[in-house]
Amino acid sequence: MTFAEDKPNMIEFKDVHKYYGDYHALRGINGTIKAGEFFSLLGPSGCGKTTLLRTIAGFEGISSGAVMIDGKNMAGVPANVRPTNMVFQSYAIFPHMTVGENVGFGLRKDPRSKEDKAKAVAEALEMVGLKGYGGRAAHALSGGQRQRVALARALILKPKVLLLDEPLSALDKKMREHMQIELIKLQRQVGITFILVTHDQEEALVMSDRIAVMFEGQIAQLADPETLYRRPATKQVADFIGTMNFVPCDILSDSGGTIEVDAKGLGRVTLSADQVPPAQGVDPVVGLRPETLTLLYDDQKAADREVKGVIDEVIYFGDMTYYDVYLGGTDVEVRLSMRNVPGRPVLDVGTEVRLAWSPTALVLFR
Amino acid sequence: MKFPALKTYAVVYLIFLYAPIVLLPVFAFNDSKVIAFPLSGFTTEWFTQMWGDQQLFNAVKNSAIIAVSSAVIATSLGVFAARASTRFQFPYKAGIMGLIMLPMVLPEMIISMSMLVVLLAVGIPLSLFTIIMGHVLITTPFAVAILSSAFQSLDKSLEEAAYDLGETPLSTFRLIILPLVMPGIVSSLLICFTISIDEFIIAYFLGGNQTVLSVYIYGQFRFPAKVPSILALGTILVALSIVLLSIAEYFRRRGIAKTGAKDTGGFL
Amino acid sequence: METASFWGRVRRSEAASGLALISPTALYAILLLAAPLVTVVLYSFAQSEQGKIIWDFSLDNYIRIWSAPNVQLIMLRSLTVAASVTLATVLLAYPVAYFVSFHVAPSKKSLWLFLITIPFWTSYIIRVFLWKGIILGYNGVINTVLMGIGITDEPLQAINYNAGAMVMTLAHAYAPFAILPIFVSLEKIDRSLLEAGQDLGESRMMTFWRVTLPLSMAGVIAAVLIVFIPTIGDYVTPDLIGGGKVPMIANMIEVQMLKQNNKALGSAIAVTAMLIVCVVSIVFLLLNRRFLSGQK
Repeated sequence: MTFAEDKPNMIEFKDVHKYYGDYHALRGINGTIKAGEFFSLLGPSGCGKTTLLRTIAGFEGISSGAVMIDGKNMAGVPANVRPTNMVFQSYAIFPHMTVGENVGFGLRKDPRSKEDKAKAVAEALEMVGLKGYGGRAAHALSGGQRQRVALARALILKPKVLLLDEPLSALDKKMREHMQIELIKLQRQVGITFILVTHDQEEALVMSDRIAVMFEGQIAQLADPETLYRRPATKQVADFIGTMNFVPCDILSDSGGTIEVDAKGLGRVTLSADQVPPAQGVDPVVGLRPETLTLLYDDQKAADREVKGVIDEVIYFGDMTYYDVYLGGTDVEVRLSMRNVPGRPVLDVGTEVRLAWSPTALVLFR
Repeated sequence: MKFPALKTYAVVYLIFLYAPIVLLPVFAFNDSKVIAFPLSGFTTEWFTQMWGDQQLFNAVKNSAIIAVSSAVIATSLGVFAARASTRFQFPYKAGIMGLIMLPMVLPEMIISMSMLVVLLAVGIPLSLFTIIMGHVLITTPFAVAILSSAFQSLDKSLEEAAYDLGETPLSTFRLIILPLVMPGIVSSLLICFTISIDEFIIAYFLGGNQTVLSVYIYGQFRFPAKVPSILALGTILVALSIVLLSIAEYFRRRGIAKTGAKDTGGFL
Repeated sequence: METASFWGRVRRSEAASGLALISPTALYAILLLAAPLVTVVLYSFAQSEQGKIIWDFSLDNYIRIWSAPNVQLIMLRSLTVAASVTLATVLLAYPVAYFVSFHVAPSKKSLWLFLITIPFWTSYIIRVFLWKGIILGYNGVINTVLMGIGITDEPLQAINYNAGAMVMTLAHAYAPFAILPIFVSLEKIDRSLLEAGQDLGESRMMTFWRVTLPLSMAGVIAAVLIVFIPTIGDYVTPDLIGGGKVPMIANMIEVQMLKQNNKALGSAIAVTAMLIVCVVSIVFLLLNRRFLSGQK
């Protein structure tokens, strides 16, 4: 599901740095965002993702480097003339105006006739599912409705890029999941480049064509969701996205093409080059996702490799059960997730179990 | 969980607060030159007497000029200070704001005397103008306090949103900021007007031979015969204060409702 | 370099914009407040002869007033009156603030606050007049009541023109001022803290004593200052209720500044008054800091 590489570049970051006094908020951002892409900036709070978004909008100047939008360097271009519009985290709905006045706010200098503008507002409202809300007072709206008004208000100007600053963080879980799907549909419908800032890795995985994971002012990895999940480039990314088990290991040989390691509790494994991202200077560990480990019941045989263990903790989720298991005779604990199916009872703490796993699911961090 | 004792106490406290104000109209309409119980009968004579008083008319005119000027100037100065302090970080901010707010916690006697000393030294004659100067000084902190909370409740992203949608900083101020702080401006004007009308010490010491309302009332204390008409005047003044305050409160609440914020209480 | 982006420009020149924006208000305060106060301080070290200031710097004025028994008496009286008024208003106000904050429905709170504030905004001079004429007067409410229930046969003259009457008048005048800061501090208390207090086995009374009261102390101290400062400098009440027989600092300043035309000595008294206010404020602000640090 890699995003079409042949699309033109919409945004380009060229070694972007940003200082607040002594604080180095953006530390050399490089990368491109394609036209029509749903792109996410993902990272923990304080990683610089919102700052980066605001440098695109023009609310933040940059200390060095360049931000290009559609091939033009944005240096000296103020926010009010950039081809971008923003949906704010607080939605920033003007409380003294009606829904319609909010949505039509950006059309003030538009040369079109009053009727045409009213039509544009009505269309924008219909697009976000608020048909007929134009006359309502803005402050009486619910959170989800405010969000839709903010979307309509930004999209009515047909920007080249729509910027979304944590737009779903103020909504409850149900509403959030609903809006995620709506936003994806809306993006496909309008075809505009969407850039979403979020700290919620699940949200980013669900919605994005590509994701830039940021830590401490730098992009740690820029990739499509599947690559990000299956082949995280750093231990930090692996840890941030989903759950990852880390098993300490010794590197036995490094031929350049393949690497042989001895992972504690798992034994000797040979890894191919694509399982070994560039070295980062951490103590060597192999990472494996919980769903790549399987409990073997009765006389089931492992398709590939097998390891013994003892259940230390059982976490029941209804459709799933998580088991924390000590790998055979070691103090290394891994988490595995099992789908609960009829006829397979949930096991108890202390049960000795056999686990199936596959060396191809491993990623080596060193 | 009821505290009837506490509620009773609160009600008694309110009665204590209001007692003198309630007695005011009672004696203003009482048909007796002596202020005493029992009441002797209803009359509007004191109001009529007050109506024909040229000196009083003059004082009212002076007070109105001073109060309107002070309210407008103090609110304008308040807009600058409140906007600057809620939106910008700048050196010596705490010190500058402290100085601006200082009159709120400085005895008025000290303010009026130090101003008087300088006015005399510089040679500026005492007049309505010097009273306005003093009243602007003491009402500005109230304007700043009211307007700061109005500016404070403005979400910065509202400005950014307007700017993002193509407006200039100036048109953003006109289209977004000004309408949203307007209730605060109205309530600041009314509060400053009320304070200025009621103020005595500065008006007394900085007014030269110009008489304003409060000074006129003070002057009438020496004449027991004038007491009933002062009560009539007081009734009108108190009624005016209450009306102005109610309007100010209405605008403050409307401002809160408009921005959808939570009501956190009174003016201060 | 993207140096010219609007908000970037604003941020870089934020200090300049802020200073420019506040300059009209700041200049006004400097010219009409700071400069006069500095002048008074300078005057207080100079000498006054026949209304003229002679720039002969010395501490003579201070030595003169601080050693004069009648000045000491007036200072002491001002302090006592202001302290009594403060104590009375704050003690009487606390339960009302507590009631409004804890036992009034949220939708009715601003109505209560509005009712409490109204009397404060009505003409001070009229209120003093009412106390003097109607309530404390020879034929006033108090005497009428006292005679009505047979405590005295003829009106008491003494209830006017004394410090007690002044305390009552002032306490009445500043009552709303004391309620507001206490109310604000009570409103800020997280209600779950109180539930936690009771959950941890404290009685309602002890929860108040160990949780509510300490947490509202900042408001109490603000109330103390907001009442104490204007009362110690009050001019009207001693003049009218006290009938000039029990002068306070403000009256003394007036006498020296205007009637005796001794601006230097008057300035020294004014500076002394400011010093008293400062010392009291600092003491209470330090207390406040102790309470605040205790909360962390």
